[in-house]
Amino acid sequence: MTDVSPLVLVVDDDPALRDSIAFLVTSVGYDCRCFASAEEFLGDWRDDRPACLVADVRMPGMSGLELQKRLAESKSGLGVIFVTGHGDVPMAVRAMRGGAIDFLQKPFNDQLLLDRVREALAHSAATRATAAERALVETRLARLTARERDVLRQVVAGKANKQIAADLDISIKTVEVHRHNVMDKMEAASVAELARSVGDRL
Amino acid sequence: MAVSGFVLVIMSVLRSSRFFLGRLFPGLLFLAALSWSTFAHGADVREIRVGVLAYRGADRATDSWTGTFTHLNRALPQWHFTMAAGDLAFLDTEAAAGRLDFIITNPGHYVELETAYGASRIATVESIGGPPPAAAVAATVFIRADQAGIKDIADLRGRTLAAVSPETFGFRQAWREMSEQGVDPFADSSKLRFVGFPADNVVEAVRRGDADAGIVRACLIESMAAEGRVQTGEFRVLAAQSLPTPGCQISTRLYPDWPFAKLAGTSDALAKQVAQALLSMPAGADGQSWTVPVDYHSVHDLYRILKLGPYQALARRGLSDLLWQYRHWLALFGLGFLWWVIHVLRVQVLVRRRTEELRAANETARQHREELDHAGRLSLVGEMASGLAHEINQPLAAIANYAKGCLRRLESRGEPEQIVHGLQQIAAQAERGGDIVRRMRDFVRKRPVDIKLVRMEQVIEEAIMLFTPVARRKQVELRLTPCPHLPAVQADPVQMEEVVLNLLQNAVDAVESSDRRQIELSAAAGPAGLTLSVCDSGPGISPASIDHLFEPFFTTKPQGLGLGLSLCRSIVESHGGRLWTENRAEGGAVFHVFLPAAKEPFR
Repeated sequence: MTDVSPLVLVVDDDPALRDSIAFLVTSVGYDCRCFASAEEFLGDWRDDRPACLVADVRMPGMSGLELQKRLAESKSGLGVIFVTGHGDVPMAVRAMRGGAIDFLQKPFNDQLLLDRVREALAHSAATRATAAERALVETRLARLTARERDVLRQVVAGKANKQIAADLDISIKTVEVHRHNVMDKMEAASVAELARSVGDRL
Repeated sequence: MAVSGFVLVIMSVLRSSRFFLGRLFPGLLFLAALSWSTFAHGADVREIRVGVLAYRGADRATDSWTGTFTHLNRALPQWHFTMAAGDLAFLDTEAAAGRLDFIITNPGHYVELETAYGASRIATVESIGGPPPAAAVAATVFIRADQAGIKDIADLRGRTLAAVSPETFGFRQAWREMSEQGVDPFADSSKLRFVGFPADNVVEAVRRGDADAGIVRACLIESMAAEGRVQTGEFRVLAAQSLPTPGCQISTRLYPDWPFAKLAGTSDALAKQVAQALLSMPAGADGQSWTVPVDYHSVHDLYRILKLGPYQALARRGLSDLLWQYRHWLALFGLGFLWWVIHVLRVQVLVRRRTEELRAANETARQHREELDHAGRLSLVGEMASGLAHEINQPLAAIANYAKGCLRRLESRGEPEQIVHGLQQIAAQAERGGDIVRRMRDFVRKRPVDIKLVRMEQVIEEAIMLFTPVARRKQVELRLTPCPHLPAVQADPVQMEEVVLNLLQNAVDAVESSDRRQIELSAAAGPAGLTLSVCDSGPGISPASIDHLFEPFFTTKPQGLGLGLSLCRSIVESHGGRLWTENRAEGGAVFHVFLPAAKEPFR
């Protein structure tokens, strides 16, 4: 996560429209990258920063809706805003069901697009933050030994040391050592914090 | 009567014109010859008038025929014979008035009187010791002896001729001979001189060289030689034959001597008695007597050949007679001709009218064609409308984005270069939109067909520009195979664009429900022209449709008018080209358009 500044990705086969969208979003300070086709985008794009996608629905080759499907399959959290010259209801419905943020008809209101972009970027950032936290917990969990995991499970379940020792058929002393190690490795300050970060992941 | 006496035929003895002798003759000379017999027989004696042709004046005539009149009055005392001497005109007038009972005249005049006044000969004069009365009269054609160029009568063509007058029997005899030699004195002589009486004038004219040849009565030269007025050997006679008695050279055949003829009103009894008296008349001192009338057929022949006198009608009325004889055929022919003229006129009028109608029909047809063409283009644009609307929407959307981007940059005091870029783009996009509108308008506008030298590359490019958004909207991949070095064609560019667009639209419609949506436009130059092909990846053409594909109002599309392909074919064919279709082996259909190359290439 070297660059966290948000990025607007534009995919449209019409160069003028592509460039004009970029021109609009850069006017409010976003970074912007343009692609002439869905194929070019998929080949080039790295999911390494908060971003949102502004895409035309109809394009030669892979259409916008297909691209949306591909992104969903790859479980990327990229928010998609569709712009289209010829909106028809069934297409909009399909797009929205596929998880699109919005379906805008050209020529669109600039504020509307920018609002949607901002929302999408915020959503992207949030998704990315959650994902990062989860990844951290996983890393920490991976450092635990099997016995420490058992102890962690008991601790999160709210059991006292004595009860844990009895359940696991180990000494209280040993439980205490494990518990200390778990708190240490999970970098948790309290049992409450530990329980929140681990959640239902065990 | 000597031959020389009556070879001179028609004349005005006194002065007179050369042609109309009678007019100038000083009236009739009425001579009451032998008046003594009038007194002898008293008032109850009936007068018998005998006309006499006086060719040397009344006195000479009287002298010539005195013996005859004396004999008649003596032999037939119950009548009193008087002599009415005069020229041809005088005699004709008297005969016409019925004032003559008998007439003595030359053979030519007699033949004319036969027809005109029913004259009929009762005796022919005879000269004792002279030629036979059936062959006594002839004429002489002579030249100067030193004239080397003329050998025969046939040589007279183009020469100058001299004669007394055209009405003398001598001239007519010579005329006949010339005519039989193929010489027409009136047409073939360089000059025909009628010198008038006396006939000596003719000899003088030839002697002086005023004329190359002269025509006179037989024996004139000889008598002038006898009188010493002509030297022996001075003249030479053409086609000379000798008349044994009295020894003259003549150039013509011989004709009978003068007749004594009764006129129509004279009774046969009188005529019989007069004839008997004449035949019984003894020869006088001049050797003159009368014999039975001879045959005047030869004179008739002459008049018939020359179409004179009684045979004038042959010359004058020949054509009208012929016309009358063939009047039925002529009427038929005239009717036929009239029918033909009417037919020709009618045909002309009809042709003109039909031509006018055809022109009007052509004009109407042309207008209809243009209307249909226009309707076809409107319909095509209608089919393309959503694509075209999108194409106009694109620059509008871009303009809106650039404008808002500029505003935001201005508000946030953004970089001026950025704002300039945005404004430039706004201008460019406005132009782009305008271009599309212009193209559409050019395509749809109603206008007359304008055939000119056209580059098909340009037509294809224009069509592709209009059609790309249409294909994109339908998510059809439109491929254009580069087609270099196409020959120029003579065509209406808008109609050509219409053809290309129709084929593209047709291809797009064909692939709309296919998985693979691909159409391809290609063109290739051939020896005679170029072939443009539009392939599609659709289902191909069903066998049921393939025969009706180019018929107007045949369509397989729910919203189609069925005009496109039929219009395309009529446009292509009106440009001398061909439009055909086939299914491709790899699937889909292909439409080919062949257009002949223009005669003159681009300069």
